[in-house]
Amino acid sequence: MTYQDEIMPDSEFSNKRSIPTWKIIWRLICFKPWIFISNLLAMFLLMGAWQIPGLVIRQFFNQLTSSAPAEFGVWTLVAFMFASELTVISGVFWLTLTNVPFFVHSLTLLRHNLLRHILRRPGASSLPDSPGEAVSRFRNDALEMPLFALWMNDLLGSIAFCTVALVVMSRINAKITIMAVLPFIIVGIVANFAMKKIEMYRRASRKASGIVSGFIGELFGAVQAVKAATAEKEVITHFHNLNEERRVISLKDRLFNEILRSIFMNATNLGTGIILILAGQAMREKTFSVGDFSLFVFYLGFISELTAFVGLLIARYQQIGVSADRMHRLMEGSTPEALVEFIDTHLDGSLPEVTYSKESEFGPLQELRAEGLSYTFPNSENGIRDVSFTIPRGSFTVITGRNGSGKTTLLRVMLGLLSKDEGKIFWNSNEVENPGEFFVPPHSAYTAQVPRLFSDTLRDNILMGMDKNDDDIYAAMFTAVLEEDLSQLDEGLETRVGPKGVKLSGGQMQRTAAARMFVRDPELLVFDDLSSALDVETEKKLWERVFQREGATCLVVSHRKAALRSADQIIVMQDGRVDAIGKLADLLETNDELNRLWHGVVEKEEGAEEE
Amino acid sequence: MNISLRQYYDILARYLRPQKLRFALLSLLVFTSIGMQVINPQVMRQFIDDATHGKSLHILLMSALLFVGIAICQQILSVSAAYVGEYVAWIATNGLREDLAKHCLYLDMQFHHEKSPGEFIERIEGDSLEFSNFFSQMVLRVAGNILLLTGILIAMFRVDMKLGAFFTVFAIITLLGLNMVRGIAIPFQKAHRDAATDFFGFLEERLSGTEDIRSSGAVGFVLRRLFELMTKIYRLWRKSALTQIYVRMTAGLLLMCGIGVAFVLGSQLFHDKIITIGVMYMIIHYTGLISQPIRELTQQVESLQNIGATVERMGELLRQNSTISEGEGANWPVGIPLEIEFKDISFAYHEDKPVLKNLSFKVEPGKILGLLGRTGSGKTTIARLIFRLYEAQSGDILLNGDSIKRATLDELRHRVAFVTQDVQLFQASVRDNITFFNKDIPDETIIEVINKLELADWFESLPEGLNTRLQTGGRSLSAGEAQLLAFTRVFLRNPGLVILDEASSRLDPATEQMVERAINHLLENRTAIIVAHRLGTLKRADDVLVLEHGGIGEYGNRLELLADENSHFYTLHQTGLEEVMV
Repeated sequence: MTYQDEIMPDSEFSNKRSIPTWKIIWRLICFKPWIFISNLLAMFLLMGAWQIPGLVIRQFFNQLTSSAPAEFGVWTLVAFMFASELTVISGVFWLTLTNVPFFVHSLTLLRHNLLRHILRRPGASSLPDSPGEAVSRFRNDALEMPLFALWMNDLLGSIAFCTVALVVMSRINAKITIMAVLPFIIVGIVANFAMKKIEMYRRASRKASGIVSGFIGELFGAVQAVKAATAEKEVITHFHNLNEERRVISLKDRLFNEILRSIFMNATNLGTGIILILAGQAMREKTFSVGDFSLFVFYLGFISELTAFVGLLIARYQQIGVSADRMHRLMEGSTPEALVEFIDTHLDGSLPEVTYSKESEFGPLQELRAEGLSYTFPNSENGIRDVSFTIPRGSFTVITGRNGSGKTTLLRVMLGLLSKDEGKIFWNSNEVENPGEFFVPPHSAYTAQVPRLFSDTLRDNILMGMDKNDDDIYAAMFTAVLEEDLSQLDEGLETRVGPKGVKLSGGQMQRTAAARMFVRDPELLVFDDLSSALDVETEKKLWERVFQREGATCLVVSHRKAALRSADQIIVMQDGRVDAIGKLADLLETNDELNRLWHGVVEKEEGAEEE
Repeated sequence: MNISLRQYYDILARYLRPQKLRFALLSLLVFTSIGMQVINPQVMRQFIDDATHGKSLHILLMSALLFVGIAICQQILSVSAAYVGEYVAWIATNGLREDLAKHCLYLDMQFHHEKSPGEFIERIEGDSLEFSNFFSQMVLRVAGNILLLTGILIAMFRVDMKLGAFFTVFAIITLLGLNMVRGIAIPFQKAHRDAATDFFGFLEERLSGTEDIRSSGAVGFVLRRLFELMTKIYRLWRKSALTQIYVRMTAGLLLMCGIGVAFVLGSQLFHDKIITIGVMYMIIHYTGLISQPIRELTQQVESLQNIGATVERMGELLRQNSTISEGEGANWPVGIPLEIEFKDISFAYHEDKPVLKNLSFKVEPGKILGLLGRTGSGKTTIARLIFRLYEAQSGDILLNGDSIKRATLDELRHRVAFVTQDVQLFQASVRDNITFFNKDIPDETIIEVINKLELADWFESLPEGLNTRLQTGGRSLSAGEAQLLAFTRVFLRNPGLVILDEASSRLDPATEQMVERAINHLLENRTAIIVAHRLGTLKRADDVLVLEHGGIGEYGNRLELLADENSHFYTLHQTGLEEVMV
């Protein structure tokens, strides 16, 4: 039994980042530099266009008050305004055309890398949290990063705009302009103080959201159980409580952000007040026209937005770090840089070829040998210790033992689904360095106790991208004793099996998973206890058909007598160690544990018949 | 596609009515803050006229301070408004989340078999998030901005009738124009969101099947699918974003018309000495300010469009009704075993593929029926039909002589219990997993039940007792242990009929013994149907039914069948195999 120690360790609230945040953003920018630069140009165009209205209005007032010669007619000024608006629209259009690709390319990169590394991590099955929780990282956390990268362009654009503004303003009146810069300094100080808190609130709020999404996923994964228990009301009440917790946390997060924002705004408003006072004096002295005043107020609006934006950026910068950490936590065993490793995003519609290697680098299996395999589950004493065995080509090896004796663990350690603490595995005397990468087709294929199917067609579920013809599929289905079921299905191989294969029965799912294994024609077939969903007759048939396959080497976990009887060797596991290895007849004479297992069942059968 | 305003209103009224007072406070905050926006240009006008006419510095200082004061007040108001708005929104969206979850939960299994949990996350969580702004801001912003617009127009009329009239016409045209472009983006946005939903559905499913993907060497295949779905998202996202530019474009160009009017009319009035330079400044400022309510209205129209897509999706979901209707109540007796009878039942998941054909059988009160059959022969379907997780196409099921359709679902599912082979667990404490989050059940009751079922040994092996947290996906409990937990669930409810899809032979002898003992207690004084996987379990059965191709292959008293050398059941027994058909 492995229990989860903590849902989400709060100790992760540290400030240590696995990868500097700027590096992630920089990598994203370098990933599609031309889109990014094009986006920046669009931003400059937009900012340039936004300069025009302020200047036109200033000219308008200056002409009215005769502070400037009447160079332009009113209608010309109106035409300028329209020209600026049309430029703005083109800018927005251009921005959209670059924003969306940048977003999608970055998202595809992040999501692809994340998924690929999740699929690669040792113990591929154990995500730290529920799949629903993990989905929220693909969704929300992944969005943060390209958004921030694009904000860099907003920032550059705003800075350019404000620089121009400051130059224009200081040429009109340097003293008043200097006052406009003051709020920047105040904001910088405030933002620095606030950073840590922002991150804390953000984390808490994200965590609460993750729990809510995770629960929805679980709830609808278990909907039949909930219905059967008429627990709809209670479950909804629980959902309500989770929602409430999240509300309180999110409100804190929001309030804090709002107050911060308001501090930025007020600092600039105060600055505006000071400028008003100074401008009043200058206006009385006629050194400052109404047109100048209007331009200053126009610019100040932008400057105040920039200061607030800078504050927001500083705050969000921390939050990107949070997101990156959350994503990296899913990628156990990979470097953080792997998250932003460049790939071809295939968004032009050219999908990558799926290739399956056909030949083993170490040649066809002659002998598989494990030496001293050990594994201990984290925070427990359970696991396997010092397990050694040899599997010759064409043999049928059964691992048996009571529950918790380490049968499944042994399989998983050997296949690299759990990373071994100690021991070596040899394929024809070549050491397998990385079992997780090695034990896939064409070397081996594996059917778990509870196999997973996906909401695709039956064909796609069996092939999963393999390039095989229908005859191969039918042959694999025949070995898996699926041929009768196939004839019953609506649309044959094109039948959609529903999410997680729910439209099939438990036995059909198991046999589909077996067919998925057979179609890959691996050197080594690994089954983890088929008896859970297959009846004896079907299982017997399946073994018969497997043995007909040339050179089929099988490694099987089972308690069933049928399996034990046909075994070339039986590995008896007890308390995580190998208790004995041998043939059934020999073991029945020499091994107590096997006798217990064997007779424990027999007694009961006899009991049934006596009645 | 236009969503009728009625639909928006209904949702709004439903979730805001319970928080009337809070909403009133929010309105007050928003409206006051908007009112201040109308006042500030007046202060500016005063300031400019005073400054250009050489009034004293003291007066100018007062104006400047007034301006700052108003600005600060406005900030405080807007923070408060944001907070209260967020508060209102969370209460409302949480209500929406819960209602959606509840609605989906009550839909029939046919519906659920089409959807993956990831899709529900997107529909419930994603869609509710979309509504957040709708509840906290949209209506008030729309109302407030209309108010602001009116205030500005009144100020314009006070300056000059012609000016006021022009601006009124301008505002009306702008609003009408915006209303016209409103509907363009909705279908594109809906398509975009649907594509996102597909993506997250795909993702959730793959994330629960990582081991299978890896050991099948199918990582490349899955990643290829990711590219495929992202490409679709890309195409739809671009389309949806581009259509939204229309709205912005319309608003922007119309605003420029307004500024044109202000320039032309204003300069004329100034030259005719009807207005001062301060008033002229105010007119320009107001014209700029007009863009704010109009832009905001546009933005809210945009959000409304977003919501429109969501409202539509949500409507689609909410219009889904469970095909299973509630009865008026059957009043079955509590605490005694119930009789169950299948009368000529036929059922198919898909029209032309019957699973059960004219099936009839009966289990007397307190008796036990052992159900056998090959995989896919319809054993689980029988259990699902009794539970009304699905509805039979013809025939009737009687419980204690009454059709199960007469009962309320609640009643039915309280009188009948169903233990599935694969027990679904939540990432929560053992307590919550046993009680399904029902906080009314005291720990003593749970422990009492555990003791009654002789599960004390198992219970003591839990590191933190009832507080032990379980992982999802059954990773923290073995199949046998999970069933023990499920027995506790059932025992707590004291049903009159138990359907037990026995855990198959994955159990080790120790757990198996515990399961056996617990089953003994569980079936005491109850009618039971056992989908058996072991002969050991079958020895409890009074009758045995072997299902074949959706009908009865063999049905009769267990001992009689056992005595009949020609029976299939006898043959099964004689083969000496340790497990019977699943």
